[in-house]
Amino acid sequence: MQSAECGDLGRALCIITGASRGFGRTTAREMSRLVKPGSAFVLVARSGDDLRALQAELAESEAGRAGVVVQCVVADLGLMEGVESVVKAAKEAFSEDIDHIILVNNAASLGDVSRYARSFTNMAEVDSYLSLNVSSSLCLTANTLQAFPQRPGLRRSVVNISSLCALQPFSSWVLYCTGKAARDMMFKVLAEEEPDLRVLNYAPGPLDTDMHMVARSRTADPSIKKSLSDMFSQGQVLTCEASCAKLMKLLLEDNYTSGAHIDVYDV
Amino acid sequence: MSDINSTNARTLGRCFCIITGASKGFGWVLAHQVSHYLKPGSVLLLVARTGTLLQELKEELQSFTEDQNLVVHCITADLSTQDGVNETVRVARQESLKEIDHVLLINNAASLGDISRFASFTNLDQVNSYLSFNVSSALALTAGILQVFPPRAGLRWSVVNCSSVFAVQAMPSWVLYCTAKSARVMMFRVLAEEEPNVKVLSYSPGPMDTEMQEDILRLTGISYHLLPCKESAAKLMKVLLENKFASGSHIDFFEV
Repeated sequence: MQSAECGDLGRALCIITGASRGFGRTTAREMSRLVKPGSAFVLVARSGDDLRALQAELAESEAGRAGVVVQCVVADLGLMEGVESVVKAAKEAFSEDIDHIILVNNAASLGDVSRYARSFTNMAEVDSYLSLNVSSSLCLTANTLQAFPQRPGLRRSVVNISSLCALQPFSSWVLYCTGKAARDMMFKVLAEEEPDLRVLNYAPGPLDTDMHMVARSRTADPSIKKSLSDMFSQGQVLTCEASCAKLMKLLLEDNYTSGAHIDVYDV
Repeated sequence: MSDINSTNARTLGRCFCIITGASKGFGWVLAHQVSHYLKPGSVLLLVARTGTLLQELKEELQSFTEDQNLVVHCITADLSTQDGVNETVRVARQESLKEIDHVLLINNAASLGDISRFASFTNLDQVNSYLSFNVSSALALTAGILQVFPPRAGLRWSVVNCSSVFAVQAMPSWVLYCTAKSARVMMFRVLAEEEPNVKVLSYSPGPMDTEMQEDILRLTGISYHLLPCKESAAKLMKVLLENKFASGSHIDFFEV
């Protein structure tokens, strides 16, 4: 019954947010290779063009040709309509053959790292940040769990793309650290509440993405900015593929303690 | 009076102190305890939504401290709104002409939120509203006050985050509260990293005999062995007066 022995994730309905680029896009690609035919993907991002390009790529891939269906949802998860549209698409993509629901809460933003905490006097700015980075993953996950309640024969896995910043404070990164710490706790509570649910807080490490590029060019704290730049120039930044491979390994082996925070370097 | 002797006459100095959520519970008791340690010329700003309760508190405090020249201002403000935060900052700025040697901001105002299973939180607006009051507001207010009193060497600056064991321990059905309290601890840890002239303390007061605890009992049916607010407030005072804590640390009542 456990797909880990077969080396695949089953006939899965995979919902991946922030799928248009970076780690989300890589996750969509890697996961599509690990699911059985009859699986379905719901890819979410704000950028319709990038999503459709990915959709086309996956349709042409081996997985696509073997019968994995990919749906795109262009949505801003910071808005209620965005969350609703994802759940609607997920319900449409579901079929009775599906034996695994996988939700990857990956969409996130860095926040303005060019400023220090003492500059965040505007509540609306902080609210907006928390809406996308905290609330939307809570609501999307809650809606998904309601749409696909526990039943025999159906595995459900929820992944939170976390960060070292969930555990450690970084100067000039107040929004990002706050959001990531909030998410880790949120998913730990979920893990405590739902023992049949598999919940993973995965910290992917420093990745070669647009987010890292913004981080190393805009970080206000000089020593953090320098270490980000040095990390990049010394080739210590991971490819999304390398980190994603570790995430896939964790999901396939399915041995992690539900609610745990696991860092790429722990795997 | 014995409190002062037992802490070797340490005081909070000529202090500009702001306490949010001061109209009841822990905030109310803190106002009383803090006022014992404020030197003459100090200013105490009490913030809450219910002006009448603040006024009562002010009268009580001034009846104890007549000869101390304690200035108390009541700010009726809803800190879940930008206007409420702005009003608090405005009054602080207005009163900041006084010479003070210590700024003490106690971020106490908070709400319990809905205690329900995770899967019930399908409404983004509900979650956003909760996080706005319990997270965004504390950041915006702290930032505003930091701008009124820019930290510098020679000025003692203390920020207290009223935290909870649920900032560090996940509790089923408490996702909103746990999430917000965790967010706050990290938020204030980042502040501690950034501001070498500010000492930041997250204090978890333990389960106290407050209205919030009554709500918890009503919503969950679970009753805890409750501490009197006074006892917990006294420990917070001890930590603040000794001033040995590492900035950014999280200290629980049961550890002191």
